[in-house]
Amino acid sequence: MKTAFAFAAMLTAAPFLAPLAAGQAHAADNSAPLRFVLIPKTVHPWFDKANNGAQAAAAMISQATGRKVEIEYRAPQTADVSSQNDIIERAIATHPDGLILDLLDEKGNRATMDEAVDEKIPMTVFDSLPPEGMDITAVGADFCEQGTMAAERLANLVGKKGEVAIMMGVPTAPNHTLRAECEKKVFAKYPDMKVVATGVDNDSIETAQKQASAIMQAHPDLVGWVECDASGPVGVGQAIRESGKTGKVKEVGLDNLNDMIQLIKDGVAESSASSRPEMQGYWAVVSAWQRAMGQKTPKYIDTGIDLLTSKNL
Amino acid sequence: MSLETTVPAAPSQQPPKLPPLKALVSRLAGNPLGGVIAALVIIFGASCALSPHFLTTFNMMIIARALAFIGLVTIGQSVLMILGELDLSVGAIGGLAGVVGGILMVQLGLNPWLSLGLCLLMGGGCGLLNGALITQLRLHSLVLTIGMAGVYGGANLVATKGVAITGVPRDITFLGRGLVMGVPVPFLVLLVCLAIVAFIMLRTPVGRYIYAIGSNPDAARMLGIRVNAIRMGAFALAGFLSALAGILMVARLGTAQPSIGDTWVLGPIAAAVIGGVATTGGIGSPIGAVLGAVIIGIIEDIIVLFGISPYWQSVVSGGIVVLAISFDALARRYLNRDAV
Repeated sequence: MKTAFAFAAMLTAAPFLAPLAAGQAHAADNSAPLRFVLIPKTVHPWFDKANNGAQAAAAMISQATGRKVEIEYRAPQTADVSSQNDIIERAIATHPDGLILDLLDEKGNRATMDEAVDEKIPMTVFDSLPPEGMDITAVGADFCEQGTMAAERLANLVGKKGEVAIMMGVPTAPNHTLRAECEKKVFAKYPDMKVVATGVDNDSIETAQKQASAIMQAHPDLVGWVECDASGPVGVGQAIRESGKTGKVKEVGLDNLNDMIQLIKDGVAESSASSRPEMQGYWAVVSAWQRAMGQKTPKYIDTGIDLLTSKNL
Repeated sequence: MSLETTVPAAPSQQPPKLPPLKALVSRLAGNPLGGVIAALVIIFGASCALSPHFLTTFNMMIIARALAFIGLVTIGQSVLMILGELDLSVGAIGGLAGVVGGILMVQLGLNPWLSLGLCLLMGGGCGLLNGALITQLRLHSLVLTIGMAGVYGGANLVATKGVAITGVPRDITFLGRGLVMGVPVPFLVLLVCLAIVAFIMLRTPVGRYIYAIGSNPDAARMLGIRVNAIRMGAFALAGFLSALAGILMVARLGTAQPSIGDTWVLGPIAAAVIGGVATTGGIGSPIGAVLGAVIIGIIEDIIVLFGISPYWQSVVSGGIVVLAISFDALARRYLNRDAV
């Protein structure tokens, strides 16, 4: 899987590597390393995967150009906008060659991002959308498409009828909210389907597990679950397993955390509509590097969505 | 001829001459704030030496602004701790004041300054309610405020449904983002509040009563001090300052985030302890507590400047905090050993 990822990344990188267009073999460049600071929403395995992709891109660019590229990964301990702003400001103080941000709330992050603009530090966002009016490249998947894919899959699994539940992530995170809205729209299309409960897990597996257990107690006829973040499906899957409802209550998860993959392998979750965190980290670095080189970058880079099932894992 | 001129002073009465370093340590140890000042100087000096990005105008501004919010909450919490109390709902009060401010300004279209005033009153009212319940029902402040944190936090969620309120008027964003001669406005607000509270604590009868109650509430009551009224007032002050921090954070972010205040519970308590405030009451000062908050702020700053792995951040910051707390005790032990 790693080899396939590296191959795919190299292949898709080709058209974007304009600064390498000279096609020369690159001798070691003794200039100072290019330094990019990657700031995710919080400490979380999903972002570790994004960081892995970012490090892969840095290694690729270093090898291709001969100039060392460093990624500094600085995560807030909690998914809190003011904490994230503090980290962003402190990163600005070190004058990096670029900031790569996963914004918790583009409006709440705006004032801090304006400071980066004042300091002439280029920014790239991933897994989120930039504030209105800012000329910043966004790297990510179509969140609505991801939620729609999961909800449609669940609807088909349960025969487009019955009670279902949605586990929200962080209510203030726009991507989580958007997924939830799109999932609700799918279920609203089917008259025999009803969303009977919506939990809020705040991107915590433990919270998701507790909420899912309580919701399943309150709604014994529940037939399926979809979620809006990476932690939710893991907690919901654990709750399904603990309540002995594996197979009876269907789950279509999100993303590709190791726990999620294990739940699919164990038959607790049927599948997962997975964004590609490694790809997002990878392309965010490529975009940040292009910006640092003075190149123009696209407004949006869509890294796509995988549907993970027991057959293709 | 006076006795003083005929009888030379006994050599034993002369203070012993100490080497310069030991003399400095002695002077610091003799000052209630000596330990925290020494720890602060060491951490500040080490940060300057280890990171070229630390001692820059921009970074100092960042530290000052981040300190303002946690510092305001720390002032209120330290007064309560000197009184022998704790309020674990200060963060929730700050968050509730922030979102109520957002609702008043954005959804109800009220004048921003009037909204700000109402939120401060509401914060003071929440604190006063805590104090009234604690004193009238004779409940332990720790237990009561855990429950009230749930009430205020729940009210926050009910009001916002977990969604941030955007579109805060620009009239008040200056309070959170503005600079006066290069100094962040929230930091100036912190300094003003600290000066007022420190004056009350150190120069007025009310301050002396607070120390007396913290040392021995029964004795204070026997002396005729209105213990319950002062306790309620201190809780109201803590609520007021938390609400002020919440509103300033709304002005800083430009949105009223339901998560405001989530991280304001343990930090101020740790800051107060680092700054020499005893958890048992009667000892310490708000100035020391804010110096403790400065230490925590610098540690949080250098952790990011040094690029320490997020998984090691808690270990490193916790370790430095323990060292800072230990410094005062170690210095005193060192001097006591020599004195024996």
